[in-house]
Amino acid sequence: MRYVLAVVAGVIALAGASAQAEIRLGVLYPIAGTGAVYGVPAMFGHDLAVDEINAAGGVNGQPLATFKRDTKLKPAAAAAAAKELITKDGVNVLIGGLSSAVGLAISEVARQEKVVYIATIPKTIQMTTTKLHDHVFRTASHTDFEGDAMARIVAQLGIEKLCDIQLDYAYGHDLGAGIVRGLARHAPDVDLVIELRPKLGATDYNAFISQILGAGCDGITSGLWGSHFVNFAQQAKPFGLFEQAKYISGGEIASHEIAGKMAEDYPDNVWSNTYELWYDHFDPSHVEFQKAVAEKAGTNETAMWPVLAYIGVKFYAAAATKAGSIESDAVAEALKGLSIDTPVGPRTINPEDHQADTGQFWGPMVKKEGVPYRMMDPITYIPAKIAE
Amino acid sequence: MESVRVMPRPVAAVCAVVVLALLVVPLLDSRYLIDLFTEIMIYALFALSLNVLIGYSGNVSFGHAAYFAIGGYTCAILLTTYEWGFAPAFAAAVIASALAAGLVAWFCVRLTDIYFAMLTLAFAMVVWGVAFKWRSVTGGDDGFVGVSVPAMLDSRIGFYYFTLAATGLSAAVLWLICHSAFGRCLVAVRENRIRAGFVGINTRLMRWWAFVVAGTFAGVAGAIFGMFHRGMYIESAFWTESATVLIMTLLGGIYSFFGPAIGAATLFVLERLTNEYTEYWPIVLGMILVGILLFLPDGLAGLARKLASYRSRGG
Amino acid sequence: MESLVRFAREELGNPGLATLLDQPSFAFIQVLNSVSQGMNLFIIASGLSLIFGVLRVINFAHGAFYMFGAYILYSVAESYELGFWTGVVAAAAGLAAMSIVIERGLFRFIYDKEHLMQLLLTFAVVLILTDLAKMIWGTDQYSVSYPDGFGGAVDLGLTRYPTYRLLLIVVGPVILVGLMLFTARTRWGRLTRAATQDREMLGALGVNVPMIYTGVFILGSALAGIGGALAAPFNSPTPGMDATIIVDCFVIVIVGGLGSIVGSFIGALIYGFVFNFGSVIVPNWQDVFPFLILLVVLLWRPWGLFGRPEGEGA
Repeated sequence: MRYVLAVVAGVIALAGASAQAEIRLGVLYPIAGTGAVYGVPAMFGHDLAVDEINAAGGVNGQPLATFKRDTKLKPAAAAAAAKELITKDGVNVLIGGLSSAVGLAISEVARQEKVVYIATIPKTIQMTTTKLHDHVFRTASHTDFEGDAMARIVAQLGIEKLCDIQLDYAYGHDLGAGIVRGLARHAPDVDLVIELRPKLGATDYNAFISQILGAGCDGITSGLWGSHFVNFAQQAKPFGLFEQAKYISGGEIASHEIAGKMAEDYPDNVWSNTYELWYDHFDPSHVEFQKAVAEKAGTNETAMWPVLAYIGVKFYAAAATKAGSIESDAVAEALKGLSIDTPVGPRTINPEDHQADTGQFWGPMVKKEGVPYRMMDPITYIPAKIAE
Repeated sequence: MESVRVMPRPVAAVCAVVVLALLVVPLLDSRYLIDLFTEIMIYALFALSLNVLIGYSGNVSFGHAAYFAIGGYTCAILLTTYEWGFAPAFAAAVIASALAAGLVAWFCVRLTDIYFAMLTLAFAMVVWGVAFKWRSVTGGDDGFVGVSVPAMLDSRIGFYYFTLAATGLSAAVLWLICHSAFGRCLVAVRENRIRAGFVGINTRLMRWWAFVVAGTFAGVAGAIFGMFHRGMYIESAFWTESATVLIMTLLGGIYSFFGPAIGAATLFVLERLTNEYTEYWPIVLGMILVGILLFLPDGLAGLARKLASYRSRGG
Repeated sequence: MESLVRFAREELGNPGLATLLDQPSFAFIQVLNSVSQGMNLFIIASGLSLIFGVLRVINFAHGAFYMFGAYILYSVAESYELGFWTGVVAAAAGLAAMSIVIERGLFRFIYDKEHLMQLLLTFAVVLILTDLAKMIWGTDQYSVSYPDGFGGAVDLGLTRYPTYRLLLIVVGPVILVGLMLFTARTRWGRLTRAATQDREMLGALGVNVPMIYTGVFILGSALAGIGGALAAPFNSPTPGMDATIIVDCFVIVIVGGLGSIVGSFIGALIYGFVFNFGSVIVPNWQDVFPFLILLVVLLWRPWGLFGRPEGEGA
């Protein structure tokens, strides 16, 4: 009993410290276990933005302070962490999220607790449509934009028989649906032969690969991201899958995290997307940004995730400045229609659906003489617009 | 072994103090503490329910999370998708858990020991699979998010007192069950199944009932959990969740009625605090577990008892 | 046959089944997929079964051993560029060394405890090992190349099939035969078998039983290491890879019968076939099938297909 009381006393003491003269950012990325390979780089971008803003005197004279929590890439853990950030650390805003399921879970907490949530990475369309609420905003792209861009590439490449393979969770299902809608617009004659749904975290893809081979597809659309793609590609290459079919992929496998790491193991005939290319520069400010990120990460090349986390913080700072307040409703109001300049071009949040007009770079991944990894060439920036 | 029906005085006193302390938690005016204690109470009930099976009937379930999840999902789905009222949804959730436990138990009581554990695991993973794949109903891997909770439970403090009442009442019922003639029969079955059979106890039936009671109250805990988090997630049915509640039970001590609740509270608070300082919570938990298994086989409750008797001897 | 194909496609609305019936090469590939996946799992599961047979401990940490095997291979083959096969040997050796420490330092204290205690202790080892792996290798995902000469495919007439997968199909039976010869023909093997029957008697006869325990534990753990190393090229080493494999191995070992090597072999094949054909015929439910097999087997023959009933009957 005394033990219990001691613990209670300790918890009370911990919960007590809450007087604040700073703006508290609650940040949620997978930073420790599974998924840390994306969450850790994202934190570099986040920290960079916070450092820049604080060096310039903070927001409304108040410095930004970061309270970060690990989401473990799991919606349940993310929801619990988001709640704890609000109730215990008294954060003024939630920023981040990685994986669509996690994003939806954090968004639900934001809705209950009436705290602004800026989703920097999750792309499920539900977040800005069916599950939209007053306090959720997204600075990432979304599955309808991504699916539309993929359908355009399918049309461009003249694919006849298409196989679709997506992970069995919000992102995969929504991207699959986005592609189907895009196909109706851009390539109505394409025959979508099979839709496969391995689970998030699946490792053995042989059964799926042989089904794609058996279906005789000449094109594959997919949103297998991260290690899912690495495993899929390693298993599919010996079957000659990438010779039989062109692989059109969402999920940013053109990013440094994948293309740089896989190097010569990267398969042929891949068309993919990314928010950031370490060998391509938008303007001088982008070059500087890339240099700063690389320095923070201790590498020479820029990963893709930092820029997303960076933009999320910048949006929040701009909104709080515009509102002259950190009160949630005021910030939410200020975010609607807000435009800012980012290292990868200007961005505006649509006041209707709270979605930023974030486009992506798309293109084929080709071998280059003397370069250890595949490079996107030509690079096409597809803006965040559903083209008719 | 406690064989009296009435609660021994010291235990009753401690219970009263704990209940009083829990009653005043909301007065501290900390959203964090209210949430923390709400969740502790839920897990405490979850662990207490498992102990009916482990501590009292000696069967180790490795799939207890299944009934927690069934209760949680049923309540959440009925409240939200079908817009049922709170009382029928909650009752239906508890009944669903009880029925599921009854069905699974009917198969499992034929087996013992490791095979019993593995069969409970297999059933639980099938429940997990259904929650995972029945996307249109359960939300699949994304979880069932955005549970609509009745207005009276919408406030934090309101929900806290509801949880306190529901878990307190459940714990009282479990106490009565475990200390009734039925509970004593269970202990007899645990201690010596064959001899218990000789004296006319239908051991399979006894174990079946223990399973059903355990599953039912896990369902109560799950239903509260889903409403508290406004969502249910498939992790709640995964085997690691079953392992967690097993560890809570063991940490507290399986030979004491309230031990598992102490274990749940300790583990939960410990996890929260450790996460503040290090990302390496699993390794800490692993060490704690090794410590308990090698040095404290009777758990925290056993340790407390040992310390108490040591002191009363004037040592 | 054609009408059957049409029936499957149109009446049943099952394109997977239709393709299976329509294209012999597709069915053949699925068979090979099933066997190769089964064999990779067998290598790991056989170690688990072997350990249970003698030590009577179900080792939850076996999945973590598998993960360590994959990581060690990555370090040796990719970071230090010492070659793939050196990596496999290093994985086996590394796991052997680790397992000595774990067996002598922890497990030997719990042989006479209840199964629950044992299971939880091994679970504690899982928690410790997974965090250790995170400390050593971080949370990056790694890409491991196929060994030289195994990156392509072989023409089998009906179809081309990846050479590396064919290698697994060969390695599985080799390990099966090796383990069977070991238990049947060698003195150590005979003692091991005797230890599964009656350890007290063996001790009374002057045999060093703890030594046998340690030996078997090393062998079983090394198999997990080899399994992990061989899986690395198509299953990139990442944190969390242990949690799925251990459940798969449980299914296989229990379906086959705890302690039976042949049982694990058959169990692994069943797993492979059910997973691969299941994913074609009942698309997207493949992750649930293994547990359904487990259920059926436990209800029908709780001691597994090749196991012996023991102390049953309540």
